[in-house]
Amino acid sequence: MSIDLSIITNYGPQLLLGFWMTIKIVVGAIILGMPFGLVLALGRRSRLAIIRFFATSFIEVFRNTPFIIQVFMLFYVLPFYGLHLPAEYVGVVALAAFGSAYFAEVIRGGIDAVAKGQLESARATGMSDWQAMRYIILPQTLPIILPAMTNQTLSLVKESAILSTITVGELTMAAITVQGETFRPFEAFIMVALLYWALNETLAIIMRRVERKVSRRTSSSSRAKVVRAAPAATEG
Amino acid sequence: MAAGSETKHNFLEMTEIRKSFGDMTVLHDVSLSVSQGEVICIIGPSGCGKSTFLRTANWLTPADGGEVRLAGELVGGVPDARSVSTQTKELNALRARVGMVFQNFNVWPHLSVLENVVCPQMVVAKRRRGEAEKQALAALAEVGLDDKKSEWPDNLSGGQKQRLAIARVLAMDPVLVLMDEPTSALDPELVSGVLNVLKRLAQKGMTMIIVTHELGFASSVADRVVFMEEGRIVEEGAPDVILQTPKTERLKLFLEKLNITAFKPNSDSAGHPTMDSGS
Amino acid sequence: MKFDISYTFDALPRLFEGSLVTLTLALLGFAFSVVLATIVTVARTASKSRILAYSVAIYISFIRGTPLLVQIFLVFYVLPIVGINIGPMSAGILALTLNSAAFVIEILRGGLASVPQGQFEAARSLGLSGFALWVKVVLPQTFMASIPPLVNEFTQVLKATALLSTITVVELMRVSQQIYSNNYHPVEVLTGAFVMYFLMCFAVSRSASLLESKFEVKRA
Ligand SMILES: Nc1ncnc2c1ncn2[C@@H]1O[C@H](COP(=O)(O)OP(=O)(O)OP(=O)(O)O)[C@@H](O)[C@H]1O
Ligand SMILES: [Mg+2]
Repeated sequence: MSIDLSIITNYGPQLLLGFWMTIKIVVGAIILGMPFGLVLALGRRSRLAIIRFFATSFIEVFRNTPFIIQVFMLFYVLPFYGLHLPAEYVGVVALAAFGSAYFAEVIRGGIDAVAKGQLESARATGMSDWQAMRYIILPQTLPIILPAMTNQTLSLVKESAILSTITVGELTMAAITVQGETFRPFEAFIMVALLYWALNETLAIIMRRVERKVSRRTSSSSRAKVVRAAPAATEG
Repeated sequence: MAAGSETKHNFLEMTEIRKSFGDMTVLHDVSLSVSQGEVICIIGPSGCGKSTFLRTANWLTPADGGEVRLAGELVGGVPDARSVSTQTKELNALRARVGMVFQNFNVWPHLSVLENVVCPQMVVAKRRRGEAEKQALAALAEVGLDDKKSEWPDNLSGGQKQRLAIARVLAMDPVLVLMDEPTSALDPELVSGVLNVLKRLAQKGMTMIIVTHELGFASSVADRVVFMEEGRIVEEGAPDVILQTPKTERLKLFLEKLNITAFKPNSDSAGHPTMDSGS
Repeated sequence: MKFDISYTFDALPRLFEGSLVTLTLALLGFAFSVVLATIVTVARTASKSRILAYSVAIYISFIRGTPLLVQIFLVFYVLPIVGINIGPMSAGILALTLNSAAFVIEILRGGLASVPQGQFEAARSLGLSGFALWVKVVLPQTFMASIPPLVNEFTQVLKATALLSTITVVELMRVSQQIYSNNYHPVEVLTGAFVMYFLMCFAVSRSASLLESKFEVKRA
């Protein structure tokens, strides 16, 4: 097997466009998915059983089914109910929904890791549940959950490849197109694999630096306990 | 000390408070009324329900029966005719004026010393930053922490953390302060610093309910000592009466046990007899 | 359009067959990955070879840093080019194995770390060496300590099998695609497959968390 390097020069721009689309989609999914994950995490702790039930069901369903079938479901269900969105939008929404279920579990673990007395002392000053969360609990949760949130974000980058199956023009789709035109699958796929790998490692390095900065500012016995409850990053 | 004779004994009214955890009843219809400016010390053996009772006073632990009123306003009660949202709203408003100090401090480690005191003022009392900081500095000076305002709580000693917790309460201009064993998590040499702050508060006329094992402190500061056992108030009265001439056998036994411990060399520097929290 | 559940019911028998294929794929891929990961773990620990350690580290980083879908395409499209024609099913299982092995190696590393050092010395003093030491003493304890995360990993493999539909392996996802491309009722058919995936994964992950709490009780 010989390696044809001309593909890099000939199809590089096309791959980079796909790469850019991947980044946009993941950023979109994070912008939608993280706040929704927070809502789900708080919903799981709600006093109202019905809200707890919906939050828990959402999280369990999205964590216990393959992402690819979630994507297909959404892709066909939306038009079924008369909502016609471009594939990229469907992709962002699917990725956000999937991610929010995992983000929710990480956030929940972080909230549980903050000492119970912290919530009590906040409530005792007259703060509402939400104010206590906003000003006392969540700020303490942040440094605890950062590593696990990073893992989940990296897993979203990888899962976004699956959006190629509904023709979203992201990086993997670009590779499929290139291999269809050149019949050089090895070059096409190894190149995008390297791009994903580089993106993954870059993000990991940046986040590790941020984590170190955050934990230096807040390093202390009270926050040393790292979230154990956080699920491992999904693979893929 | 009381503002007027007619307000005597109805500033804080806790009426027939009942509380169970599972099928274990922890409080058997306990009643207590506190007048303005009064300092109450609650003593009693471990597990008798002191903390639980104190925590029903601001409804942090909702009771299963009975009611709590502060200056006539309902803090919490069973049954409660108000809607849940009204209950929550009115309770939060009342809690803003009722301070609570915990055994293990519960200072907020993500906020600086100053911000610990500023935060609830801005969030709950809706004060502007300038005013909140002024109040905070005054409160910190009151407890002798004004030079630590930009420290992180984790760099404070236990005694300093507890004084910070007290400053956080004071800055809210409380009409009532609840304290649950404020010194029992402290190293012996740090106890007196905190007790001195509490004494000054008492002298200024702050209404306080303090669960404590510091009998010396109780006898010098309390207007009334309340002895609880097995979820009931067994005896209450002026400190010298309660501590010198106990009427019931149970209180006698309790004091004897405490005094035996008090002769051990872990008295605080002010010479008060002390006892470990027992937990 | 209205959701017509009869299409879901009509599809059930074939979806059920598809789930059996899905389970088989997951079991095979997972089993092979445990074997591969065990070999790598033993080789890496026993040989103390620097080169091996680095290669394994890079391998794990690559697998964890790239999408499984791309890994599947690489295996599926590249094998025939180098003259290996094993068909989509085997290529799919191979891809799952290669992917999952990276995660299982990490799990076993954690399990291995929980085996007390004294165990090695005790075994050596009994005259056990090399192969026997691993098979009789170290690996059983490593696996015992790794059971909950391994069951978790199996859920991941189970979900990952759905990606093999993209290289024409006829498992649950692919079966449902075949059905709805004939009857044009994707929503009803996919719902059936979705529920089946959920039941399978939920059952496995539930047992994983049950195992986990059981293990924690035992340790306490
Ligand atoms: N949240 C809870 N759930 C179950 N049981 C509880 C709870 N809080 C307190 N209890 C029980 O209620 C009883 C009274 O507890 P409480 O903390 O009020 O005692 P205490 O007098 O403050 O004791 P100590 O001096 O040790 O602090 C104890 O038997 C305790 O185990
Ligand atoms: Mg107590």
